[in-house]
Amino acid sequence: MLLEWIEASNFRNLSGKIFWGPGFNIIHGSNGQGKTNWLEAIHTLARAKSFRTQHLQESIKFGEQLAVVRGRVAHGADIHRDLQIALQGNTKSISLNGKREPLTGYLSQIHIVALTADELDIVRGMPDARRRFLDRGVASLQPAYVQTLMDYNRVIKQKNHILRNSAEREISLFETENLVAPWNQQLIGLAAQVHRGRCDYVERLNQVLERRVFGREEVTLNYVSSLEGKGDLDDYQGLIAERLRLRLPAELAAGHSLIGPHRDDLAILFDGHEMRIYGSAGQQRSALLLLDLAAISLYNSWHNDYPLFLIDDVDAELDEKRIGKLLEYLEGRTQTFITTAKSSHVGRFFSQANVFEIEEGVVVGTAEPKVISAVEKP
Amino acid sequence: MLEYAEPVTKLIDEFKRLPSIGQKSAQRLAFHIMRMPEAEVERLVLAMREVKQRIILCSVCNNHTELDPCRFCSSPTRDHGVICVVEEPHSLVAVEKTRSFKGVYHVLHGSLSPIRHIGPSDLHLANLLPRLKPENNEGVQVTEIILATNPTTEGEATANYIGRLLKPLGLRVTRIAMGMPVGSDLEYVDEVTMDKSLANRHEI
Ligand SMILES: [Zn+2]
Repeated sequence: MLLEWIEASNFRNLSGKIFWGPGFNIIHGSNGQGKTNWLEAIHTLARAKSFRTQHLQESIKFGEQLAVVRGRVAHGADIHRDLQIALQGNTKSISLNGKREPLTGYLSQIHIVALTADELDIVRGMPDARRRFLDRGVASLQPAYVQTLMDYNRVIKQKNHILRNSAEREISLFETENLVAPWNQQLIGLAAQVHRGRCDYVERLNQVLERRVFGREEVTLNYVSSLEGKGDLDDYQGLIAERLRLRLPAELAAGHSLIGPHRDDLAILFDGHEMRIYGSAGQQRSALLLLDLAAISLYNSWHNDYPLFLIDDVDAELDEKRIGKLLEYLEGRTQTFITTAKSSHVGRFFSQANVFEIEEGVVVGTAEPKVISAVEKP
Repeated sequence: MLEYAEPVTKLIDEFKRLPSIGQKSAQRLAFHIMRMPEAEVERLVLAMREVKQRIILCSVCNNHTELDPCRFCSSPTRDHGVICVVEEPHSLVAVEKTRSFKGVYHVLHGSLSPIRHIGPSDLHLANLLPRLKPENNEGVQVTEIILATNPTTEGEATANYIGRLLKPLGLRVTRIAMGMPVGSDLEYVDEVTMDKSLANRHEI
């Protein structure tokens, strides 16, 4: 897939339209000029979410009511799709080719892999960052998983309400069980789908992981179910049903759900050690890159296509050696969007890139690569 | 200070209480009403008053009706041995449009949703169990309950809850199937529906 252009209005300080190149796109500018805003605009268009804030309305330009990001994606030579996300107050509306589109269909239009500062949480943060990484990956291979996950989260939320309410009002265990049962019934089926999806994805990641691109250590992945050691994981539905039954008193005491894949984790190991605990900052960055590259490679083997790759503030995240290796690997594969404040990088690494100079949110200069030609501008 | 004269503001506020009506739509409606001939406004007011005065809930099935029991519950040609449970009166209309269902209905007026503080006692469930006794059902023994709640997590939970309630009574409890819309090309069916259809496949 190819992002042909993107247009932003009232999205932070951005205005105007950028026609991207098919290979490397360098967004260069001093700090505070809005280069990362363009990356955020791409991210928001693709995932209907920002990587900077939980509250999308923060990206509406101060004093304005409505922010719009538009873009055109090409799938092959003939299929062009127009995507739009509009932010107004607390609502966001998404459309595909000018028509409103449900989220599951919309999200499968552009797949991105993003290397940003907060993605480092995957290799050194709490389990939720790793679960999100896996869920994005599973969804990239099977779009219906988005709905499974939404249903799962909804069921957990509903069940938590019952548990909290029962705890507060001292409703009996028997009565609580009665109220919880219809939700647990769904939870069992949905949890099994989430578990299966994530396990399969980790297995596939392990198969394509280029273990030693950035170092001598061997990186491996291991999906860690919170039900591990509690019984036969091969009969997941039977096991979780039993755990839900046994642990209801504990859940009632806690006032929230204790059983299910929302408590699972992904172990990232180097030479058998936990990366999160024992890895150096450099090793952790390398591991994150390996994970991203594996996700890209899996996506490619599944769809015969590449996702977009976003790298925010490349110098902050990676040293020159890693940047070199990374670009070597990506060349001829992904359409890549990179922000940098260092002008030395623009010349040294990116002779084959389209360069966009950003000042106050607007492109003030472009340079096209000598080797790769830019996309045709309609 | 009010932006509009008091009666206008009052009307706009009333419209805003209605579902899916925001400030802008409320203003548009209010201004439209001010431009309407008085006779038309009277007609609208009368229609609203009438619907409140004349429409009640059927004491048997909770459907909207003018006469109690409703036309389904009092019909001698419907099969009173099969009850289709739906969330809302408009879901009943959807089932009825098929013209292939000959049984009777039970309208819950909602679905279980703890986060919206809707529990079993908030659904119109209390009058379902008595219907299962032949003496309360014109002498007819109910043989099947079809659970036609929505294919959402809330609809599923509701179906599941009622299923648990009824199963021990030994009657047949079924859940409507979910899947492919008829007459659609496989290519254009969304992934979620396709996924459900695959999961719910059956032998032929
Ligand atoms: Zn009735």
